[in-house]
Amino acid sequence: MTMIFYFIFFGFFVSVTAGLLISWIDRKVTARLQYRVGPPILQPFTDIVKLLGKELLLPKGASKITFLFSPILGIISIMIVTTLLWLVNIWPQKTFFGDLIVVLYFLVLPSLGIILGGFASRNPLASIGASREMKLVMAYELPFILAVFVPVAKSGLSIKLGEIISYQSAYGAFISNWSGVLSFIVILFCVQAKLGLVPFDMAEAETELAGGALIEYSGPSLAIFKLTKAMMLFVLPYFIVILFLGGFNFNGLAAVRSLLGFVAIIVLIIVIRNTNPRLRVDQALRFFWGPMTILAILALVLAGRGL
Amino acid sequence: MRNLLLSSLIVPFILGLVSFILPKKNKTLACALAIIASFATFIVCIAVFMLKSKFYLDNSYIYTLQYFLVDNLSAFIALFIGLFGFLIVLYSSGFMKDKEELNKYYAYVLWTISASIGAVISNNFLLFLTFWGVLGITLYLLIAMGTEDAPASAKKAFIIIGGSDALILLGMAAVFQLSPFLEISRIHIPLTNNLAVFSFICLALGAFAKSGAMPLHTWIPDSAETAPTPVMAFLPASLDKLLGIYLLFRISVNIFDIQPNSAISLFLMIIGSITIIAAVMMALVQHNFKKLLSYHAVSQVGYMILGIGTANPIGIAGGLFHMLNNAVYKSCLFLSGGNVEYRAKTDDLSKLGGLAKFMPVTFIAFAIASFSISGIPPFNGFVSKWMIYQGIIELGKTGTKLWPLWLSVAMFGSALTLASFMKLIHAIFLGQPSAKKIDDAKEVPAVMNIAPVILAGLCIIFGVWATQIPLRLFIVPSMQTHLTFSGMWNSSLATILILVGLLIGFIIYLLGSLKSREVRQFIGGEDLEKNPQMNPSGAEFYNTVREIPLLQFLYKRAEEKLFDIYEMGKRAVFGVSSLFSYLHNGILPTYCVWILLGMIVIMLVIL
Repeated sequence: MTMIFYFIFFGFFVSVTAGLLISWIDRKVTARLQYRVGPPILQPFTDIVKLLGKELLLPKGASKITFLFSPILGIISIMIVTTLLWLVNIWPQKTFFGDLIVVLYFLVLPSLGIILGGFASRNPLASIGASREMKLVMAYELPFILAVFVPVAKSGLSIKLGEIISYQSAYGAFISNWSGVLSFIVILFCVQAKLGLVPFDMAEAETELAGGALIEYSGPSLAIFKLTKAMMLFVLPYFIVILFLGGFNFNGLAAVRSLLGFVAIIVLIIVIRNTNPRLRVDQALRFFWGPMTILAILALVLAGRGL
Repeated sequence: MRNLLLSSLIVPFILGLVSFILPKKNKTLACALAIIASFATFIVCIAVFMLKSKFYLDNSYIYTLQYFLVDNLSAFIALFIGLFGFLIVLYSSGFMKDKEELNKYYAYVLWTISASIGAVISNNFLLFLTFWGVLGITLYLLIAMGTEDAPASAKKAFIIIGGSDALILLGMAAVFQLSPFLEISRIHIPLTNNLAVFSFICLALGAFAKSGAMPLHTWIPDSAETAPTPVMAFLPASLDKLLGIYLLFRISVNIFDIQPNSAISLFLMIIGSITIIAAVMMALVQHNFKKLLSYHAVSQVGYMILGIGTANPIGIAGGLFHMLNNAVYKSCLFLSGGNVEYRAKTDDLSKLGGLAKFMPVTFIAFAIASFSISGIPPFNGFVSKWMIYQGIIELGKTGTKLWPLWLSVAMFGSALTLASFMKLIHAIFLGQPSAKKIDDAKEVPAVMNIAPVILAGLCIIFGVWATQIPLRLFIVPSMQTHLTFSGMWNSSLATILILVGLLIGFIIYLLGSLKSREVRQFIGGEDLEKNPQMNPSGAEFYNTVREIPLLQFLYKRAEEKLFDIYEMGKRAVFGVSSLFSYLHNGILPTYCVWILLGMIVIMLVIL
């Protein structure tokens, strides 16, 4: 019963609030970079409420249950990941064996929701967008997994998030070594792709596919997708903070430091997003299976040598 | 126990014989007979399993009867052989209804059940090999009952399986050199000398050929295109996995006892990793869904071998559990794919699409099984893969530096598996309907949906209550060592959370306005109904992967069958024999010339 409370409180309310705030930061910074004023702080919340008020449009001849179920798939998995991350951060002893792998698996599901939703809408543009999303998942998953192994290797082969956190609080954050820096770079690009932000937004590609996989979504179902995206904007940087900065620290000066680290990651993501053009999907595939994978392997080799 | 054991062998055999000699016209009778026989066998297997676990809770106690032996492992595998046999016969009663020679088909299926149970409960190596050989023959006969191209692929399967039987015999001879017994339960050989390693590899190759691991996998994709779909679901997808991995488990745990970080463990892990990645890469670019599924049948074996190769208890248990899970979801995939084939009369992905609306039950079963095979929590595939990962991490803790390789291959393979199943789901069930309309698009008869629904249900049950049901009843008792699952992934809790999440999603929908209406898809202002060619079928989705420089090279070689041992062997044999056939061309003057030349040579030598 307490788990369900944590699930609803941390998994949903905290991450939704944080995610929407971060998406406001994203929009504000983007606007400032483009010499615009940008939206007020409550704009993302208003957008969601507005979407909930719109009527639900169902594409003709589509598989409606799959169409309506797919957005929920994404939000559930992000909620589970957030709950897990909060729990192990606050109580590192609550970790269980392999929770890192569970997180990795659940982080694929939001993309799966987008893909299934796109496929179910019976729209050729959505199909193409969803297939690009799938190829993107294939592309970034390999360097992502390898980069996540670096903290595992450095913490003495632990696939418990709680142990990774407590190891770092005892011996210092992993980002302070070479292998940590390299894998941090890799994971940052992978997170960019997971978030579907420029330069990896080919699945939605507003200018060519008119929204791609999400083209047929509107009203409440689109609102769920938007919420999921906002939550991911919070959860994925948080995951990086846990892996490389030793998680959020809640006392005194260290709290300020970890918060600064978190904000720095988000600013990096926003800057990458605003200074790059969109790649084609085959370019992304080559980018991730080529340089990124090599970099991740290099980081692993360095980690094996204790650097 | 004695009578039960013997009847599990004799009942399907005798009734199969009866079915074989039935007149061809009595299709219904043959079918009814087969259903009764397979059901009876299933009940007997359940009874054997219950008796075994009720009276002999002690792991070390095994029931022996002259040449037979029942321990926890063989009892559980026999149970699932019975289950799959029954489900396949039930499914065939709908799918094969219009085919010819049904009496023979059912006879072969029943004999397969009988021989498989015989193989897992026989304790004598020679007896085991006899049953194993019978299985090769029935496999050949069953594959050959498919389309007109089937005999060629059946021959290929028979040669590969038969050849590997010879290897098993060779390995057995080597084992007999090292240990004076022929009873499997009494052989314990340390893997210290070369002969022991040699015999292990021979026996392992036999297991690889049966279960379809690389490089002996090539009979599975070939027969997938031609064999009847229930046969694919029965043999390569489920029974051959159970048997092949059973043999691998027996030799690596009971007979030889492989050690972590030994050369043999490395050998198994390399084979497993290559199988996972190479087969799933091949699956990505297939256009025929049965062939695509069959490549996954190969790829999944890699996980089992990888798990057993870690040589630590949790990894081996994971491999064994993955074998069970794979048998469940893979036969579910083949059977629900068979439902599609039954209605659409094609297995070409570009001619299918949009069937989810017409075949909802088939779609749901297929979707659950594809989520399971991709390892999506909380379904069963996730739990067993998770155990294998844990095994690899445990292995890493003993000092090997290669653990990131094994772990990344296993995890990345599961992402690629997900990708190729998304392609299947799009091309068959979702997406746009195919340009050529499928006339008979509706749900299949209920009898054909029983098996996929039961198997999809098992995927959920084995996933959600993994520790409580399959691990406690089947897997852990089969292991020789004690296993604990403290701090393990709590599948039931995750399921509760997922249900709560579903509720929250539902509430968000309720919070919104409840008005909804149907609209036409937006495709730049065109009308989809008038443009049926606007239809990315999905078959071509991953051609981007194929065009990556190095992969392009490998794919081309793979399609020329350069990695196919059978084809290469065939080329070598035909290359040598073409020399002889050039000499023996049947033209009299040529022979005269040869005789003359020969005489000249003899004269020169003698004189």
